[in-house]
Amino acid sequence: MLDPIVSLREAFPDDVLDSKVYRQTPIVTVRADKLLEVMRFLRDDLKYNLLSDLTVVDNLHLPEFNGSDARFVGVYQLRSIERDGELLQIKAPMPGGDNPAIPSVTSLWPGANWYEREAYDLFGVNYTGHPDLRRLLMPHDWVGHPLRKDQPLGGERVPFTLTWEDEEFAHLGRQIMRPLQTPEPVPSRMDTRHMVVNMGPQHPATHGVLRLIVELDGETIVAVEPDIGYLHSGFEKQGENVRYKDFTYYTDRMDYVSAMQNNLAYSLAVEKLLGVEAPPRAQAIRVIVAELQRIASHLVWLATHALDVGGTGLALLMYAFREREAILDLFEMVCGARLTTSYIQVGGVQWDLPPAFEPRLRELLAILPERFDEYERMLTDNPIWRKRLEGVGYLSAEDAIAMNVTGPMLRGSGVKYDLRKAQPYCNYDQYDFEIPCYTEGDSYARYFVRIEEMRQSRRIVEQALDNLPDGDYRLDDPKIAPPKRDLLDQSMEALIHHFKLFTEGFRPPAGEAYHGIEASKGEMGVYLVSDGGPKPYRCRVRTPSFANLQAIEIMSRGHLFSDLVTVIGSIDIVLGDVDR
Amino acid sequence: MEILIISIIKSLALIVILLTGFAYLTYYERKLLARFHVRLGPNRAGPRGLLQPIADAVKAIFKEEIVPDHVDKPVYLLAPALALIPALVAFAVIPVAPAMTLFGRTIDFAVADINVALLYVVAITSVGTYGVILGGWSSNNNYSLLGALRTASQMISYELPLGILLAAIVLSTNIGREMGTLSLHEIVLQDRPWWLWLWLWLAFPVFFIGVLAESNRSPFDLPETENELIAGFQIEYGGIKFALFFMAEYIHMITGSALMATLFFGGWRGPFVVPGTWHGALIGFGWLFIKILALLFLFIWVRASVPRVRYDQLLHFCWKFLTPLSIAYLVITAVIVVFAG
Repeated sequence: MLDPIVSLREAFPDDVLDSKVYRQTPIVTVRADKLLEVMRFLRDDLKYNLLSDLTVVDNLHLPEFNGSDARFVGVYQLRSIERDGELLQIKAPMPGGDNPAIPSVTSLWPGANWYEREAYDLFGVNYTGHPDLRRLLMPHDWVGHPLRKDQPLGGERVPFTLTWEDEEFAHLGRQIMRPLQTPEPVPSRMDTRHMVVNMGPQHPATHGVLRLIVELDGETIVAVEPDIGYLHSGFEKQGENVRYKDFTYYTDRMDYVSAMQNNLAYSLAVEKLLGVEAPPRAQAIRVIVAELQRIASHLVWLATHALDVGGTGLALLMYAFREREAILDLFEMVCGARLTTSYIQVGGVQWDLPPAFEPRLRELLAILPERFDEYERMLTDNPIWRKRLEGVGYLSAEDAIAMNVTGPMLRGSGVKYDLRKAQPYCNYDQYDFEIPCYTEGDSYARYFVRIEEMRQSRRIVEQALDNLPDGDYRLDDPKIAPPKRDLLDQSMEALIHHFKLFTEGFRPPAGEAYHGIEASKGEMGVYLVSDGGPKPYRCRVRTPSFANLQAIEIMSRGHLFSDLVTVIGSIDIVLGDVDR
Repeated sequence: MEILIISIIKSLALIVILLTGFAYLTYYERKLLARFHVRLGPNRAGPRGLLQPIADAVKAIFKEEIVPDHVDKPVYLLAPALALIPALVAFAVIPVAPAMTLFGRTIDFAVADINVALLYVVAITSVGTYGVILGGWSSNNNYSLLGALRTASQMISYELPLGILLAAIVLSTNIGREMGTLSLHEIVLQDRPWWLWLWLWLAFPVFFIGVLAESNRSPFDLPETENELIAGFQIEYGGIKFALFFMAEYIHMITGSALMATLFFGGWRGPFVVPGTWHGALIGFGWLFIKILALLFLFIWVRASVPRVRYDQLLHFCWKFLTPLSIAYLVITAVIVVFAG
């Protein structure tokens, strides 16, 4: 067993400022000017080869800040794929006070590009050596950096106000107005002698408001530049301004086709911060709904992917949605909502499973295998489908890791890495399932990975349902989870706890925790910093689509314009997940 | 004078029937696709949604006419007409029913029974391509330009195997006759031996693929490809101008089906058809109608079950597979004609 703290202290005796293990995660603080050397050592010698997350914490209101020079701290979550996704957190206080600067790690992980642009955008951190430091999520003319602690919530001038004197009203009754011509700038690296096509933000194949600037030579793609942020809703800022419990409802809206997974990632992170664990029955219920959600999410992927590649007439769309409908009905049964479930809560789940749930679920589980076979009959051996997918969107294992790609995309590139097996949560180690893995690295391989994952998820749900333990469905700790309904009528204390919980919330001890789960699209991680108050001091969400989308240029360069649609489909992006 | 009046009546009847046919073909397609998709399809306007096409037409006609600023206006406005007219005109030579005698006069059920009908169909349908290309070009839009370019290469490629197969069919009309013919009327009337029918049906799949590509139907709907080019060449068209393009595509489908029914499945011929009588004409028309419906079903079935091919793959498929195949077919047909005819 390798101890990263010992190795780091040996290799960099003067540069490791602090080290500790908090909630099972080793946390090492290093000097910012030696960051690159430390990271290279960690990546090459200690094999922490996956940069799971990169973010920044603004220490302004923390007691440890005290007017010192290092107001901002860079936080890096590293994982080692070779050693079962072992997590290591590196922190680097940035010199420079209000204008912090820190070396960029894009030379080690090209995938850090967007993360650092995001941090530059939201915190104003200057990454020295970054190839293209621009705003990423906020509009390019926005003033300030929203996630800084001195940036107030609200108070921003909203540019949408209208008065009756505005000239827009002179056109009332004439719907078609001459538009204001605002030509979008062409990225400087693109050759304007080629055709530069603006794909999106409204385009049927971009699955939401994604804008791709595509440079075409004939129909061959020379360069693709994604422009994201259209759906940026500032969830992280929101998270820092609501109580822990209340942020669960926001997580639904991130990856809106797999809300359960988001709830789960957030709840587990809060539980890790609190140092508690949900009861076994709650864990099993979580596994059931999370795996059902994975099937539902993959069905949406299959339907839209087939739609993109195959055209609107293709019947597969409705077949896949038919099964997804059944799953959403089950969700409606357990929590009343179909899309924004908020069912998995801190400490357990919101309600117990209703009695009608099990028979309905068993019915669904019985028909699913033949339905999966039916999809495969329509596509797998279809010569057109194969020609459209095979060899399209190739992503090598090295590129995938360097770009921080996770989930089915990583497994389609031949890296057998799944957090459910690597770092089991919710007792995933008790279930018997396979990790589908294909080495081809093209869209066809990713297609197989996802189809096979649906089968494996079905197996997991079946096992969890067969061995569903009795007991509480949420933590029996009135300080964290609300007391049972019937207790409220009998016990004054329970009533007080209930009241306190919903008016004040709970206060985790000061500390920090990062927890990642294997969501349908990859690693969904939540990083929380507590200052001992009822609201998170820093709430950071690492979403899979954000990292996966970055690889689009590697995957689509040199292919035809039509293939870009295949590539987008096989990345399986959800823009709510990308922009947050 | 008399022949002029008859021609005008026939033309009007043809246009009315074709336009109604187009309208109800959209209904037919939507209902069928809905069946394939496990949905219901249109069912609100009128009983079983039967008035839906009329509602759609009214909507399209009353939509605001929008001509974007950046288009090449004359060409932009001309293009939809240029696409639709050839589609309508091509149908003129197809015999829809056996001739019948009325008031001592013989009436042909084709607007024009010309002796080079096949040549005429091939020539006219190619003109329709101009509408699509010019529409895409004049829209001044990157997407429609790509769509127009795709149309150009696709149409040119697929004329080739289609033309070669047609030549083979024309060659085969020599069998059992003094000389061959290009007239569709005579092709329908020709008595083919059973082995010739089988031989012709061998060519049908290739011909069908060619017609799919000719009429821009899925899986070869690359000029529009709503998922990549959004709507390709018709992206800047709205309201009735869009509907005209739509009409052209669907009437192409009808014409293509009618042509295939005529060439491969005996046109209006079928049991209980007594040429020369009024009921013979009616039943003959019924047979053709059923054959066309069945072929249209094929079009829609393919759309619901096959993914779309990629543009370069389509051209590869045409030049490397379909064209050699049809040339081989032509050669063998020629040999058969020499020995059997």
